[in-house]
Amino acid sequence: MFERRLFFHVDWLLLSAVLLLAGIGLTMIYSTTYVGAHVPGGGHAGPRFWVQLYATGLGFLALLIFLALDYRFLAEHSLFLFCALVALLIYVLVGGVRAGGSTRWISLGVFNLQPSEFARPTLALILAMYFGENRRGARNYADLVVAALFFFVPFVLIAKQPDLGTAVTLIPVCFGIAYLAGLRLRLIAVVAIAALLLAPVAWKVALKDYQKSRINTFLDPEKDSRGAGYQQIQARITVGSGGLKGKGFMEGTQGQYKFLPVADNDFIFSVLAEEQGFIGVLVTLGLYLFVIFRALEAARLAKDRIGAYLVGGIISGFAFQVIYNVTMSAGLAPVKGLTLPLMSYGGSSMIATLAAFGLILNVRMRRFTN
Amino acid sequence: MSTSTPLMPDDRRSLMLRLTFMQYFVALLFGALAIGFWIFQVAQYDKFRDMAEENHLRRLPLPAPRGVLLDRSGKVLVQNQNTFNIALVREQTKNIDQTLRALARATGADEAQLREIVNRRRRDPSYRPIVLIENASLEQVIAATSRRLELPGIIYQEVPTRRYPTSAMAAHLFGYVSEVTETQLKQADYKDVESGAIIGQAGVEQAYNRRLMGTEGNKAVIVNSLGREIDVVKSLSYDPKEGQRLQLTIDADVQQAAEDGFFASGFNGAAVVLDPRNGEVLAFTSHPAYDPNAFAAGIDRAAWNALNTDELKPLSNRALQGRYSPGSVFKMAVGLAGLEEKVITPEFRVFCQGGQSFYGRYFKCWKPGGHGSIDLRHAIEQSCDVYFYTVGNMLGVDRIHKWATLFGLGVKSGIDLPNEVQGLVPSTEWKAANTKEKKWYAGETISVSIGQGQVSVTPISLAVYTATLANGGTRITPHLVKAVDEGQGLKAMPAPPPQSQVEVTAEKLQAIRDGMWLVVNGGSGTAARARIEGKDVCGKTGTAQVISNQGRTAARTTKNLRDHGWFTFFAPRDNPEIAGVVFLEHGIHSANAASVAKHILETYFAKKEGRPLPHAPTREDMRLDLRDSFARPGAPVGGN
Repeated sequence: MFERRLFFHVDWLLLSAVLLLAGIGLTMIYSTTYVGAHVPGGGHAGPRFWVQLYATGLGFLALLIFLALDYRFLAEHSLFLFCALVALLIYVLVGGVRAGGSTRWISLGVFNLQPSEFARPTLALILAMYFGENRRGARNYADLVVAALFFFVPFVLIAKQPDLGTAVTLIPVCFGIAYLAGLRLRLIAVVAIAALLLAPVAWKVALKDYQKSRINTFLDPEKDSRGAGYQQIQARITVGSGGLKGKGFMEGTQGQYKFLPVADNDFIFSVLAEEQGFIGVLVTLGLYLFVIFRALEAARLAKDRIGAYLVGGIISGFAFQVIYNVTMSAGLAPVKGLTLPLMSYGGSSMIATLAAFGLILNVRMRRFTN
Repeated sequence: MSTSTPLMPDDRRSLMLRLTFMQYFVALLFGALAIGFWIFQVAQYDKFRDMAEENHLRRLPLPAPRGVLLDRSGKVLVQNQNTFNIALVREQTKNIDQTLRALARATGADEAQLREIVNRRRRDPSYRPIVLIENASLEQVIAATSRRLELPGIIYQEVPTRRYPTSAMAAHLFGYVSEVTETQLKQADYKDVESGAIIGQAGVEQAYNRRLMGTEGNKAVIVNSLGREIDVVKSLSYDPKEGQRLQLTIDADVQQAAEDGFFASGFNGAAVVLDPRNGEVLAFTSHPAYDPNAFAAGIDRAAWNALNTDELKPLSNRALQGRYSPGSVFKMAVGLAGLEEKVITPEFRVFCQGGQSFYGRYFKCWKPGGHGSIDLRHAIEQSCDVYFYTVGNMLGVDRIHKWATLFGLGVKSGIDLPNEVQGLVPSTEWKAANTKEKKWYAGETISVSIGQGQVSVTPISLAVYTATLANGGTRITPHLVKAVDEGQGLKAMPAPPPQSQVEVTAEKLQAIRDGMWLVVNGGSGTAARARIEGKDVCGKTGTAQVISNQGRTAARTTKNLRDHGWFTFFAPRDNPEIAGVVFLEHGIHSANAASVAKHILETYFAKKEGRPLPHAPTREDMRLDLRDSFARPGAPVGGN
């Protein structure tokens, strides 16, 4: 399956940028989870740093696997992958590991696997396959309904955990592929308006209290500065106090003294902004932008529609996550459990993201094969 | 295996277009993000840097010990002693009410009061400790520490607390300290004082608060989001600086003698003793007094209310704030005015028949049979009222006013203590401006001549008056601080300049002083009991009516209608070095005041000459005259 000449078509620049971002993330996790000398027996890296390091290694393996297998082969078997995903998601709801008020994980003994992180690439695969094989592309409502079915099953299962943040990231994947497949902007607008009209209903029926309070808090953070608004205010202070050059590696007071909650996870970018300053922010944002552009370039070069759609879907989800998380890390968006791909602490996320980039590299690498 | 469809040309064009659109869209959002971060991190950096610092840096005030007060010879009068405060750090407790309840249970403190304290300080930053129990007893501290788990946020501070001498010695002189009030915080004087600071609220503590307060230290600590202390920032921390030591002009032994004299006499009142050469106050007391220690340890509401509602007004500083008729001690001013205005000479004689008519009204002399023919010196010695009625009548009220004022009566002394009040020596001008009647009647001058009527003075002003007579006309400014230690050891503090220099003829003033010498040493004087062999004590007694004789007759005789007793004194006659006044509230007889003065003078001279100090007098030693001799209805009568 893997021919030697393909090796020369690997997008080394993209791969380097991805690994560089993962490296920046690891550095920030090291900084924010470092066990300080003021703790008895302290003065060493925290356990989460090592977990993330191992996950990055595993993720790199996943990347190689999803690079090695022809993406068309994977697309052809996407229904199978999709069913496996749904099975896992159902299993999570039945026999998953519960933590922090939601059930998201399957215990594998050594570590916990979060299947929802694999929903994006799987959904991208099956939708790319569906629209790629359809000669007409996606032009009418019927196409949308089928796509919507593929989307809704994992969406509902993930939202039920509950993990609305991860579930929501499926939306850009759908729209990305539908858009590339020719869906008229008018249709997207219709859906968006419908969503807006349904929002009050959703507010009443679907949203849980904690989710409502998060949105309320976002609209007026000072109102609840010790509660939910606290995170948002602290996020702004963290980012703003970083200044142009930052406070220095492991010198950030907000992250180091735990004023910033979930610093290694949702707010890893805030830690970066605090310790590396605006310059660090620009460099990192630049890298992310480069990764996205480079991926879109891969979609452009793709030999077939499946490849282009696949890359487009994956990178839409990726870009959405990056933009949303970075906005949130500056306290400019409601706090959602939405991680920053490649940088936030989270093994499953790292593995799934690197695997997805395996697919993107895959599409570009096989642009000349038949 | 390749079942996928290759891209058709028009397909490709549309796809490329859409990919390009996506690219721009993402680039746009990233640009917006970069701008957002620029606004926070560069444009608003200062604001957020301050907020971050406020987050993790805690500045905890370390109270500075107040400056020690020394007496003129270096003896410690007021110092500090460490005590325990129990305080609350609100950010360390989730449920303040629960903590307060548990603390009240553990220590026996009043829960409502604790709550009120916290409520009063609610605007303070939540990391700053709020002192709940000042001067906690060891039992309270142990009880609270043993329930540490029930009392999150409760901390224990060792703080320097003011220690005053026991038995309320010189309480009004020292004043007291307590937490700065909310009203004070709004005043300009306390602009840089932080809420919760301990400041002087009366006496020297208030007057010299700036010097005594010292500089609060600061401990800058880094705390984490739970308020736990992680580290101390050495570069931002500094030790408290003790307040400046003040060496007072007070002589501890003379002060003690004044206190002892009052205790032995059993009367309330005031005494001020000073050095007539420079105005240094040697002793200063007001009775009844309070225990300033009670304030230093945080006075409880009941004790505070008791002090405030006490009929005897223990918080009032009688020496500065009490205004009383001077009675016969006023006669020197009238005599001197007569001499200086050339109305009389010292040899001027009046025939006293025990009373005389002026403007159709009969004014009695205190001595029923009269003094016969009497000159100025002996009129002072025997306090002849008729003599001074006559001189006062010749002078008129305005010339009396002029000379009394020149010698410090009816004006403020300028002492370095807060809240001094001004007495009153009437004049025609004063009456025109301040009364409905407006016109001065010559008959009123007769009462003024013997220090009655409208005349009212504070004890401190009478002390200045006496000192000015003693030193030859220099109206010295009484003051309390001799030296101050600003960090390089005690350095003399320059005495305040005299209020004025009175132009008097030495011989004329000497005639007055001769009379005052006779009062004590003349054999038929009114204060023979103040005589000290070889010391040439000079003085003058005065009895001030609290109520007119008619009123007295009408009222049931009660204790607080009895006459006040005065004794002003200086010694020795030539080159006097001590002068002062003793005022006994409802002291019945001025001779009783002379007894107190004698103990003060004996102590002063014994100490000066290195002799053993006299013992504190007993009540018997005072030879008090407690006969309320009031039994003479009729015309107003001057004191003896």
